[in-house]
Amino acid sequence: MRLTIKFTLWYFGIMLVVLLIGGAIVYYEIQWKISRVEVARHERLNDIIAQQIREGGDYTGHPTRRRATITRIPADSVPRGISSYYTRGVEWNPEFQVREYRLVVTSFYTIGDMHYRVSTYSFIPSFYQLLPGVVDSFKWILLLLLVLVGISGGLISKYILAPFKRTLRVIQSFELKQKEAIRLPGTSTSEFRELNEFLLKMTDKVREDYQSLKEFTENASHELQTPTAIIRGKLDLLMESDIRDEQAVLIAEMQNALERLSRIHSSLTLLTKLENQEYAAKEPVNFSRLTREGLASFQELMQMKQLRLVVEIEDKIYIPLHASLADLLLTNLISNAIRHNAGAGVIFVRLRREGLVIANTGQEPSVPTEELFERFKKGNPGSDSIGIGLAIVRQICDMSHFDIIYEYQEGFHILGISFLPRQAASKLLQNLSVPLLKIRQEPE
Amino acid sequence: MKVLIIEDNQELARNIRDFLGREGYICASCETLEEAKEKLSLFKYDCILLDIGLPDGNGIGLLTLIRTEHKDSNVLIISAKNALDDKIIGLEKGADDYITKPFHLAELHARIRAVYRRKNLGGASIVEFNEISLNTDTFEARINGTLLDMTPKEFDLLLYFLVNKNRVLSRQAIAAHLWGDYTDNLANFDFVYQHVKNLRRKISGAGGMDYISTVYGLGYKFNSHKQE
Repeated sequence: MRLTIKFTLWYFGIMLVVLLIGGAIVYYEIQWKISRVEVARHERLNDIIAQQIREGGDYTGHPTRRRATITRIPADSVPRGISSYYTRGVEWNPEFQVREYRLVVTSFYTIGDMHYRVSTYSFIPSFYQLLPGVVDSFKWILLLLLVLVGISGGLISKYILAPFKRTLRVIQSFELKQKEAIRLPGTSTSEFRELNEFLLKMTDKVREDYQSLKEFTENASHELQTPTAIIRGKLDLLMESDIRDEQAVLIAEMQNALERLSRIHSSLTLLTKLENQEYAAKEPVNFSRLTREGLASFQELMQMKQLRLVVEIEDKIYIPLHASLADLLLTNLISNAIRHNAGAGVIFVRLRREGLVIANTGQEPSVPTEELFERFKKGNPGSDSIGIGLAIVRQICDMSHFDIIYEYQEGFHILGISFLPRQAASKLLQNLSVPLLKIRQEPE
Repeated sequence: MKVLIIEDNQELARNIRDFLGREGYICASCETLEEAKEKLSLFKYDCILLDIGLPDGNGIGLLTLIRTEHKDSNVLIISAKNALDDKIIGLEKGADDYITKPFHLAELHARIRAVYRRKNLGGASIVEFNEISLNTDTFEARINGTLLDMTPKEFDLLLYFLVNKNRVLSRQAIAAHLWGDYTDNLANFDFVYQHVKNLRRKISGAGGMDYISTVYGLGYKFNSHKQE
């Protein structure tokens, strides 16, 4: 949930509580105020009536006497301390033919040596009749608040959170390999300022670490190549000297280990370079042509292993990839398909605008196919490969934003690479489904 | 052929000197840019092997000097960094080829010969040995004038043997020469065996002598002194 919405909802909640309490207060306040006003009016009326009594004369039928009761009372029943009191209660209102709230105000007067009790009453609106009015007005207030908070919440948060959003954008576009420090916008909000300072420190540290790691890798790779080259040269020379058979075997084993070392090394260096994105695509390459060339260069190997090649390549397929990488990708895929193929097997290659599918017959892999993309992971532990070919393939795909998938189905290893940016490779395999049975049965 | 080896690592330079020396090449070596400049101002070389990472500077800078004052010399860059940029810049600045450490000495030799053939022998790109004759332009191989039906890889292999006559070529060196690096294909040795077998069969079939022999445990050798 967005921060603004969260804030607004909380604010609404608090407002609702406040308004409910406020409504109750207003309700009781009005109720009390009405009584007070009414009581004051009646006290004044009672005073007028008393004045009339004092002046004498016949006031029967006078408007003041409409709801007045004047009683002469003995002196001892005059209460002490108070001159008037009032009572309330629901009574029958004959005028409106309805039971209503009746307020009776009784005042005591001493005129001459006579004591009078003057009571006047009136029907006042019931508090229950007031309630809908109170509720109604609060409903409007609440609605108005809702609208205003809703609008201003959006606007104000947009204004207040703007630096935060800018920071987010800067961080999202941050790349490890960028040379310069990130530039974060200034802000008057202290929390955001703290956040920015922290981010700046953190990204600086990360960049430094990355740079030193990169330098170390580069130096290590550079420095290791020369000794390896020396050893290899010495072995080349040693081979030419007069050696016995058992020494020859030793040399051959050393050559093998050295070969492995140098290949692991150059592959790892290559992977590092790919990770550092040192091979940016300058212009799209003709992948159709490269695929054909790649297959042609492996033709002899396929013949030696008596592999049958089934190819469906569309013309003029251009993809944004560095030419060397495209070459590397194809070389690794094709040589993999040859190496892990069973004797007299099949290799199927289909290239369309959407993607590339390479399938080959072969033994079922002993580990889940997804894991074969990891470095030094081999489907067949006994094989001579170093298990880095597919890691390189995946790295190339990752940096080009191609999705890649590896499946094993009915005796076929199927590798699919989707060239379309938002198409999953699994979808590609559905679209470019491999006619496994057909390929298998197709006669030579 | 006179070769100048500009390489700061003495052991590596000695390897190259030893190997090329046996081919009858006259090799001189130096370790720094300064020494290289001095040598280049005094002598003329057919081939210059240039290591890029030198203690007193980048070897690429030397290329300009070589290209202006030693137009005929072939320049082969030796680099520890298999960086694409180095390769492109090096070739743009006038280097003839580029080889990455760690290389097989036979491979280096083959590259030197290839560059030499391209530049110095003009159109006559024929490599001959007794009855065998290879045309590196048309990729035609002939035995006593009879055209051999060869695959490109077999042609490449035979050329590699002819350049490195009487040398033990390890299976690794042959595999690296035929398929390059990065393929993660150590199992290529089977293919090396197949290729060599096919090549020998084709040469013998056309009436050529079977010069190629297996060296126990190590690899193969093209034996030029072989008698019937």
